[in-house]
Amino acid sequence: MTEKVKVRIDGEVISATAGQTILEVARANNKYIPALCYMEGLTSVGACRLCMVEVSGVAKLVPACTTPVQEGQAVATTSPQLDSYRKIALELLFAERNHVCAVCVSSGHCELQTLAQEHGVTHVRYPYSCPRLPVDTTHPRYVLDHNRCVLCGRCVRTCAEIEGAHVWDVAGRGITSHLVSELQRPWGEATSCTSCGKCVQACPTGAMAEKGWGVEEMTKHRTVVSRLTSMREGS
Amino acid sequence: MRIADIAAFAAVREAGLAKLLPSRPRIAVGMGTCGSGNGAEAVYHAFKSAIDRHGLDVQLAPVGCFGFCAEEPLVNVWAPGRPLLMLRRVQPHHTDAILDAIGHGGLPPAETILGKIEAWDHLTGHIKYGSGYPDVPLWSDVPFFHGQVKIVLRNCGLVNPDDIEEYIAVGGYQALYKVLIDQNPAAVIEQVKAAKLRGRGGAGFLTGNKWEFLAKAPGPDKYLVCNADEGDPGAYMNRNEIESDPHSLLEGMLIAGFVTGARRGIVYVRAEYPLAVMRLEQAIDQAREYGVLGDNVLGRGFAFDIDLVEGAGAFVCGEETALIESLEGKSGRPRTRPPFPAQRGLFGRPTNINNVETWYNVAPIVSKGPAWFTETGSPKSAGTKVFSLVGKVQNTGLVEMPLGTPLSTFIYDIGGGGTSGRDIKAVQTGGPSGGCIPADMFDTPVDYETLAQLGSIMGSGGMVVMDADNCMVDVARYFIEFTHAESCGKCVPCRVGLDKALRMLNRFTQGVATQDDIPLLDELCRMVRDTSLCGLGQSAPNPVLTSLRHFRHEFEDHIVAKRCRAGVCQDLALSPCENSCPLHMNIPRFLQLYNEGRLEDAFLSVVMDNPLPASTGRVCQHPCDNRCRRAGIDEPVNMRDVHRLIADEILLSDRFDAVVERVRERRLEPTGREVAIVGAGPTGLACAYYLALFGHSVVVYDSRPAAGGMLRYALPEYRLPKAALDREIELIERMGVRFQFNVDVGNDISLNDLAHQHDAVFLAIGTWKEGWVYLPGTELTGVIPALPFLEAVARNDEVPVGSKVVVIGGGNAAIDSARTARRLGAEVTVVYRRERRDMPAIPEEIEAAEHEGVRVAYLAAPHRIVGDKSGQVRALEAVRTKPGEFDASGRRKPVPTDEVIRIECDTVILAVGEKVDPDFCRASGLTLNEDGTMVVDRYSLETSRERFYAGGDLITGASNVSNAMGYGKKAARNIDKRLMGQKRFAQLLPEFVYSMEPPESPAEVGRHTPPEAPAAQRVQSYQEVSLGLTPVAALEETSRCLRCDIRSSER
Repeated sequence: MTEKVKVRIDGEVISATAGQTILEVARANNKYIPALCYMEGLTSVGACRLCMVEVSGVAKLVPACTTPVQEGQAVATTSPQLDSYRKIALELLFAERNHVCAVCVSSGHCELQTLAQEHGVTHVRYPYSCPRLPVDTTHPRYVLDHNRCVLCGRCVRTCAEIEGAHVWDVAGRGITSHLVSELQRPWGEATSCTSCGKCVQACPTGAMAEKGWGVEEMTKHRTVVSRLTSMREGS
Repeated sequence: MRIADIAAFAAVREAGLAKLLPSRPRIAVGMGTCGSGNGAEAVYHAFKSAIDRHGLDVQLAPVGCFGFCAEEPLVNVWAPGRPLLMLRRVQPHHTDAILDAIGHGGLPPAETILGKIEAWDHLTGHIKYGSGYPDVPLWSDVPFFHGQVKIVLRNCGLVNPDDIEEYIAVGGYQALYKVLIDQNPAAVIEQVKAAKLRGRGGAGFLTGNKWEFLAKAPGPDKYLVCNADEGDPGAYMNRNEIESDPHSLLEGMLIAGFVTGARRGIVYVRAEYPLAVMRLEQAIDQAREYGVLGDNVLGRGFAFDIDLVEGAGAFVCGEETALIESLEGKSGRPRTRPPFPAQRGLFGRPTNINNVETWYNVAPIVSKGPAWFTETGSPKSAGTKVFSLVGKVQNTGLVEMPLGTPLSTFIYDIGGGGTSGRDIKAVQTGGPSGGCIPADMFDTPVDYETLAQLGSIMGSGGMVVMDADNCMVDVARYFIEFTHAESCGKCVPCRVGLDKALRMLNRFTQGVATQDDIPLLDELCRMVRDTSLCGLGQSAPNPVLTSLRHFRHEFEDHIVAKRCRAGVCQDLALSPCENSCPLHMNIPRFLQLYNEGRLEDAFLSVVMDNPLPASTGRVCQHPCDNRCRRAGIDEPVNMRDVHRLIADEILLSDRFDAVVERVRERRLEPTGREVAIVGAGPTGLACAYYLALFGHSVVVYDSRPAAGGMLRYALPEYRLPKAALDREIELIERMGVRFQFNVDVGNDISLNDLAHQHDAVFLAIGTWKEGWVYLPGTELTGVIPALPFLEAVARNDEVPVGSKVVVIGGGNAAIDSARTARRLGAEVTVVYRRERRDMPAIPEEIEAAEHEGVRVAYLAAPHRIVGDKSGQVRALEAVRTKPGEFDASGRRKPVPTDEVIRIECDTVILAVGEKVDPDFCRASGLTLNEDGTMVVDRYSLETSRERFYAGGDLITGASNVSNAMGYGKKAARNIDKRLMGQKRFAQLLPEFVYSMEPPESPAEVGRHTPPEAPAAQRVQSYQEVSLGLTPVAALEETSRCLRCDIRSSER
C-alpha cells in the first residue's frame, strides 16, 4: 500500500500513505496529539481516548491512533470540547488510583504527569477512589506498583508482541480491572518472564520500575520498543 | 426423515398439519420460561394425568408463549371445527372442567377465557381453526392484543417449538426452499434492502446493506452470527422468540447464508437462558436430521451448518466486537472499528452479526415481498418491533407493534394504564443504554430517530413504565451501577467515568450532593458518551443525561430540599409514611410513644409536627396509608385515626392547659421580628404557629369573623366538629399569635402597608372562588355554587335548598354538598362524567354518602339545566358517556353517547372546582401563573416580591388540608431562616426517648377502622359520622407498626 492521500490536519495539507493512522501522520508532521496507550511499534488499541480528534463530516469524535487517514479528510486536533474531554480523562486517571507524584520514582519522567501539566490539570473535581492496591516486589530486578498503573496495556502488548512471552494480561473488568502476570502468579514466580525489562521501559508511569531508584530517579528508555520493531521490519 | 425433494417436504408438512389440526381436540400449554415460572409445568402434568386417567382422546402439546405475561399460565384449546380458545391464568384445578368443556363442545370456566382465534396468518402459511363461541371476544379485540401486528411472533405460542414438523406445517422453510430453487442471491439481498429492514438489536443499521458487504467480501470463509446475548434488565423478547419458535431463527440464517456465501452460522446465546439453549439445540438437531441443515440443504446442494455457543454472561458481549472476541476464546472486550466485522471479524474473516429478532423478519420478507413489509411501520422504520412492556402497568408482556406507534398506545391502551390507578410518570426505553421519557411526551412515536432525539434509544425493546413511586435519580443511579459493573474496563471514560458518575449519583441519593454537582455530572456523562470505545460506554450515560434533561427538578429536590418525593432514597426519609406526609410528621414516634402509654408525650410529638392534629386526624387524605409497608402483610396502619385519638384525648380534656404549657416551653427567645400572615386557613395557621414558636411577633389577617378557613366554612360539622377546631386554634393563639378578623387585605389594608409594618408577609388566601361551568341554564334560580352553600350551612344561615338536589362534580366539595343537602332533607343525586375510580373525592366519603342515600350517576356529563317559565330549575339533563381513550391524566376520557338522562330537581349545586380569587392576585402586583395561582420559588416559597412569601392553595390551586399546612410549615422555616440568617427548626423540637427496637414479628392484628354512626340516624343531624378509635383499639393499632424508622446500626 503505497497509495498517497492528502489530508488536512489543523488546516495544513499533508501528504500521507494510505493505511497510516491519523496519529502516525500527525506525529510524522510535528502535529501534537496527546496519547497514553499508544506506543510506536505496538498495535494500537484505542483505550485511553486521549487522542480523540474531530474529523469533518463525521458526527462522532474518532480515536486518532486507530483511524486510518482518508483522502480529503480534515482533522482538528484541538477544540474547546476536545481539551475539556482530555482534561476530564486525565482527572479520571488521577482519581482512579493513588498517583502521589511526591513519592513516585517516575516523578519528572512520567507521561501521565506531563500530560496533566500540558492540559492544565491543577486539581481533580471528581471523588478520589483511594483503592488499597498491592505492590508486587517479588521480581529480583523490577517492581510493579498497582497504585500507579493506568491500564494502558503497553506492557501487555510489549511482552506479547515484542518479547513473545505474554507474561502480562488484564484480569477483572470495569473498575476492578488489574494487571496480572502469568495466571495471577507473583511476577517473581512467573516462569515465562525472561526478565528482559522491556515492559518496564514501555510503562508510561511509575507503575513498573527498576529496583534501586529513589523518588524522581527512574528514567525510562521509551524508544526501546520502536527501535526493536523497526530493526525487525528492516531485517 | 431427510427431506431431499419437494414431495418429501410436502409429506412432512402434512404430518405437521395433522398434529396442529388433528381429528381430535388439542390442548397446548404455554411453556416458555415465563409460563413455567407461573406454574405451567404443573398445569401440563395435570392435563396429562387427567387425559391418561380418563383415557381421553385429546392431544397435548407444549408451546411457547403468546406474550401476555400478566395472565400466565396461558393455555390454548381447540376442538375440530371450532375456534382456538386462548385461556389465561389456568391452574391445575381447572383441567377437568376444561377437558369436560371441549369434550362436549362447551366453554371452559369463564374466568379462564381470554379470547378466541378463528384463523391465524402465519405469514408463511395460513391456519383456519373454525368458527363458533359467539360470546367469546376475538383475540384482537382483547385490549392487550388490540393493534398488535405479529410478524416476528407469528408462530409464538401456537406451534410446538420442539417439533420441526409443526413449523413446516405453518409454512416454515418454504421461503428457504424458494430461495434455493430461485438461485438468485442478489435478488434476495435487494428484497431485504427494499424492505428497509433495520437491525433490531438497537442500532438500526440496514440489514440488507450489511448482507451486501458480506456477500461482496472475497473468499469462502465467512461467518454469520446471531447475537442472542440479550442482557438488558427488563428485556426478554429474544429469549421468548427462541423458546417459542427456534426454527424461524434457523431459517433466517440459512437464507442469509445462501445469499451471502457464508457456510457457517453461530448463535451466541447467553447461558442464563437454559430453556432457549435447550430448545435451540433440539431445533438444530432436528434440522440436521431432516436435511434442513448440513451438506445438502433440502437436497439443493447448498452446505450450511449452525453452531450454538453459550455466552458466559458478560453484558458487554452483546457488543459485536466483544462478542467476536468472546467467540475466539478471549475475554470479551470490544475492539476498535475499523476494521469492521464485515472486513475482518471472527478469526479475521468477514463476519455479519444480526440480532435474534432481525433474523425472524427474513422469512416473511422473502415469502411476502418487501412491499408488504413496508406497509407496516413508519417510512424510515419499516415493520414491527417486539417490546417487553414491564413495570408499573396493569398488563405486562411482550407486545409486537408497528414501528412509529405512539408511546401512549403502549402504556394506556395495551398496558391498561398504571397499577391501582396511579399516575404514570415516565417510561424507560432501551434498558441501561436508553433513557427516561416523561409522561407529557407520550405522544412520541416509537422509532429509531424520534427516540434518539429525546436522548433515549429503542435498543432491544425494553420498556419499563414508572410511576410516582419511582425516583428518577435512583433509576439513573441504578442503571449506572449496572453499566459500571458491566464495563469491560478497557477504555478510560467507561471504566473510570462510570465509576465516578456512580459515586456522584450516590451522593445525590444520600442527600450530600451540591448544586455544583449537577453541571459536573452532566459534563462527565457527555464526555463518557462522546469518547468511549464501544456502544456500552457511549450509551451508558443516557439514563443520566435524559433524567437530567427531563427530570432535573428531582435532582434539585435531592440537593436543595434534601427530599426524595418517591420515598426511594432511604437516606432522605425517616420512613415511607413520614416521607409521604406533607407535614413530614414523625409518625412512628407518636405511635411508639402512645404504645408506651405516654399520651402527653405522644401529643407533644404530634403537635410539634402538626398544629391541627384533631382536624387533620379527621379530614386528611392520608397519603401515609398508600405508602405504609404494613400493607404488604395485610392493611396499612391506621395512622390518621390514632393521631386523631391522641389529639382528642388532650384537646378535649382537662389536660389541655398543662400540655399547652409544655408546648409554650419550646418557644425560642423573642426576636423582635414581625410577620404578617394573610389568611387564617390551615396554611396561615400552620405558618403562624411555627413563626410564633420561633419567637417572632405574628399577626394573622382574615376577612371572615373566625379562624380556620375552609376547615370552618367549607367542611361540614359531621366530618369536623368545630369544637375540636376551636381548641386547636386556641392552642395556636396561646403561642402568641394575634388575629385580626373581618379585615379584607387589599381593601381595608394594602399590601404595601403590610410590607412597611412587617419584616415579612406570608400570603395564604386559598381558593375561595367557585369554578363555573358554562352550561345552558346556570342562570336559573336554584343553581348555586358549592362553597357558598357549604359556608351558609356552616354559619347557620338561611339556605335555599329544595327537596330534590343534583350536585355536579366528583371532588370532596361535591360529596360534602351532597351529604349536607341530604341532612337538610333533600333527595340528592351526584352527577359525574367519569367512572367512580376516577373521582378525586376520598373513597370512604363516597361510600358514606351512598350509605346515607345519596345517589351517584356515574358516566353522565351534564348537558343542560331545564327551567320553567318562572326561571326556576326543574330538571338536569345529562348525556350518558362511556370510557374512551386515555388522556394526559392517565384516566379514560368520557366519550358522549346518544343517550340522554333527565333528573328532575329543583336545586343544582355546582361543585366543579375552586379557584384562586383573581381580583386579589391581580391587585397584588405579584407574578402569577396562567391559571391564576401565584409564582413562588419552588424551595423558598418567596414570591416575585422580596420578603413576600406565599403558600397553600394560592400557589397550587385547590388541594387539601395537609398539603396546605405543609406549605405553611415550610414557609415558616424559610421566613425564619431569612430573618435570622440560620436554620433553627431543629431547635424547636424536644428530644424524645423511646424504644428503638423493631418488633420481632409483626403483631397479628388486623387494621382497626373506627365505627360510624348508623346512616339512618346520622342523616337526621350534623353529629359526627366517624366515632373514632377507642383507646384500646388505638393501642393495638400502634403495635401494628413495623418501625421502618429504625435502621440497622451497621449501616
